[in-house]
Amino acid sequence: MTMISEEARMLQDLVAKFVERDLMPLEPAVLAREAAGGKWALTDAEEEVILGKCTELGLWGLDVPEAMGGAALDTVTRMLLEEEIARTITPFEFPPDSPNLHMMMAVANEDQRTRYLQPYADGKAKSGIAISEPGAGGDPAGMITRARKDGDDWVINGRKIWVSRVPAADFIIVMARTGEGKRAEGMTAFIVEKDTPGFIIEREIRMIGGRLTYELVFDDCRVPERQVLGELGQGYVPMQLRLNVRRLQMGARCVGMCRRAVEMMTEQAKQRVTFGVPLADRQAIQWWIADAAIKIHATRLMVLSAAEKMEAGHDVKDEASMLKVFATEMAGEVIDQAMQTFGAMGMTKELPLHLFAQQARLMRIYEGPTEVHRMAIAKRVLRRGAAF
Amino acid sequence: MRHSPGVAAPPQQDTAQAMKLLVPVKRVVDYNVKVRVKADGTGVETANVKMSMNPFDEIAVEEAVRLKEKGAATEIIAVSIGPAAAAEQIRTALAMGADRGILVEVEGAVEPLAVAKLLKAIIMKEEPGLIILGKQAIDDDMNATGQMLAALMGWGQGTFASKVELAADSVTVTREVDGGLETVKLTLPAIVTADLRLNEPRYASLPNIMKARKKPIENLKPADLGVDASPRLTTLKVEEPPKRQAGRKVGSVAELVDKLRNEAKVI
Ligand SMILES: Cc1cc2nc3c(=O)[nH]c(=O)nc-3n(C[C@H](O)[C@H](O)[C@H](O)COP(=O)(O)OP(=O)(O)OC[C@H]3O[C@@H](n4cnc5c(N)ncnc54)[C@H](O)[C@@H]3O)c2cc1C
Ligand SMILES: Cc1cc2nc3c(=O)[nH]c(=O)nc-3n(C[C@H](O)[C@H](O)[C@H](O)COP(=O)(O)OP(=O)(O)OC[C@H]3O[C@@H](n4cnc5c(N)ncnc54)[C@H](O)[C@@H]3O)c2cc1C
Repeated sequence: MTMISEEARMLQDLVAKFVERDLMPLEPAVLAREAAGGKWALTDAEEEVILGKCTELGLWGLDVPEAMGGAALDTVTRMLLEEEIARTITPFEFPPDSPNLHMMMAVANEDQRTRYLQPYADGKAKSGIAISEPGAGGDPAGMITRARKDGDDWVINGRKIWVSRVPAADFIIVMARTGEGKRAEGMTAFIVEKDTPGFIIEREIRMIGGRLTYELVFDDCRVPERQVLGELGQGYVPMQLRLNVRRLQMGARCVGMCRRAVEMMTEQAKQRVTFGVPLADRQAIQWWIADAAIKIHATRLMVLSAAEKMEAGHDVKDEASMLKVFATEMAGEVIDQAMQTFGAMGMTKELPLHLFAQQARLMRIYEGPTEVHRMAIAKRVLRRGAAF
Repeated sequence: MRHSPGVAAPPQQDTAQAMKLLVPVKRVVDYNVKVRVKADGTGVETANVKMSMNPFDEIAVEEAVRLKEKGAATEIIAVSIGPAAAAEQIRTALAMGADRGILVEVEGAVEPLAVAKLLKAIIMKEEPGLIILGKQAIDDDMNATGQMLAALMGWGQGTFASKVELAADSVTVTREVDGGLETVKLTLPAIVTADLRLNEPRYASLPNIMKARKKPIENLKPADLGVDASPRLTTLKVEEPPKRQAGRKVGSVAELVDKLRNEAKVI
């Protein structure tokens, strides 16, 4: 198991301080905005200040290779930083803002690297990915959006849904069928720029936790051949690559959220007296705290072990699935018990706990719902046994 | 500034060209940790406790880095005297902007006098123009090392500094004293100890943390410096302070004065 380097610890410390001094003070404003029915996201003004701070601290392009101007941190270190940043409900991700980087690094050609990957790595361009469809989510291989060749162009037709980050994105990676193959075969990734004719943002969908996703329509959306990302008909595997990174990140984020929840819970338990005794002296509460500590520790070890394996270049599909299930379920339980410890206060929109709970709830759906991951794990164990 | 017989002569150096700063940094229990006395009463619990750089030393490092950034200094050496793990605190100083480190490895307690003697030995070797220390360490709150070092060296000292201005052959220090501020001008080399309001330390940025990895740390033992660092004092017992008693409410100022006079007998 990983020995965490001194440098990784120092970086973790740096992010912890950044979170405490720069992000947590925004929580009251974020909570008040969300409670009033507004957006959870930072305002442009808030974001500008935070991005300025990030530039000053060099917290930029953490997983971007050095040749592209990034910090090229190893996966283990990055997971420690993810854990810290998840301790606040203030929504912020170090730019670039999503793991499309990994998919693009794996398959983008020279021209695409210059036009899309570099600006994205520099944090100047934003992006999203459109996989899910009304008829295909947890089973993305069931998608029906299709691109057909027309002269030198590709023409995309279909409908995508639940796509995050759309209005801000400069480009979207769109998955579509190009071949005759079934299921995962014949799937191709396209880079579709924001204002491409035929690319329509149909509607904004409000979700719990202040999250927004979008339904997109592709109506004879024409893109030139050079927008094909990676090999024709071979888009499924790189797409999965992207998801694995994301799932590890989600595990680390669950650990971070739960650490905060337990900190809040223990503080409350020590000072709240009922029936003449502090809650901290009650076994019912103590067991919540003990179980939370055990699960947080176990999840962190799962994250670090998967990160180490990924760093060594191994496939972590199975670990990512296990982590995705375990971390999101444990976060649901731990945060719920923290809310319970606070009594009525835990039900308010004044504490960050309800937003943590909703984030954890969402995580059981996106990047593959829990049941589908369990199915995949079981399939493997049934086939090859439980030796890992 | 006078030099009494028997104390160290000032190191020879051309301050206009080279101005080395020496900043001692101590590994202490993190200021966020609620310190607990060990069950056997021999000291405070440090096992499995987060350790950090003494906050006043962070201020000292920050000041040194600012002086270097302003061009008033050319090199910053961070020194720690303590366990092998104190290399972490040196690394933090390096990430903040110090150039190199020296770790004098000593297990167990090191008293201010031993630290001062070890620092003196390092000073004789390195010949810095200015030493900036924290005014005290938050673990034992001794507030002694800077002063003892000044005495051992026979150099001027500006303690509790809230402002430091470095010139080619002198340093002007604004000191926080009871009832106001005092400004002293010291001939270099000199000793300054940092107070809370001297500056607000930066956080080491990611690129500087990465760079710190490549900066050298020299490892020494007290014997290498010819110093006996063994404690001169024995700790008999460490106890928690008594629990605060619950307060009492009084109905009026008259009642308060009456109780203070007749019950507490403090006025
Ligand atoms: C906040 C959020 C952000 C999102 N962002 C994006 C995005 O940016 N881009 C994008 O493309 N998509 C995005 N999605 C969509 C997400 O990937 C899908 O919601 C997810 O894959 C599940 O698909 P579905 O909603 O169609 O549910 P379904 O696939 O219909 O599943 C419904 C339920 O049935 C269960 N189920 C399905 N199959 C099985 C089975 N074989 N055995 C047992 N149970 C099963 C599932 O576990 C689930 O509980 C986002 C979703 C959310 C909530
Ligand atoms: C939607 C809503 C509406 C409400 N409306 C009203 C109203 O109209 N009027 C009104 O007066 N109040 C109202 N309340 C308050 C409600 O009655 C209290 O929240 C409830 O009694 C719990 O008290 P508390 O919030 O102070 O939690 P606490 O008493 O502090 O309890 C906190 C946690 O500790 C646990 N706990 C407490 N004692 C023990 C013990 N001995 N052993 C183990 N665990 C223990 C509790 O189960 C809980 O999980 C409302 C609350 C809500 C959420």
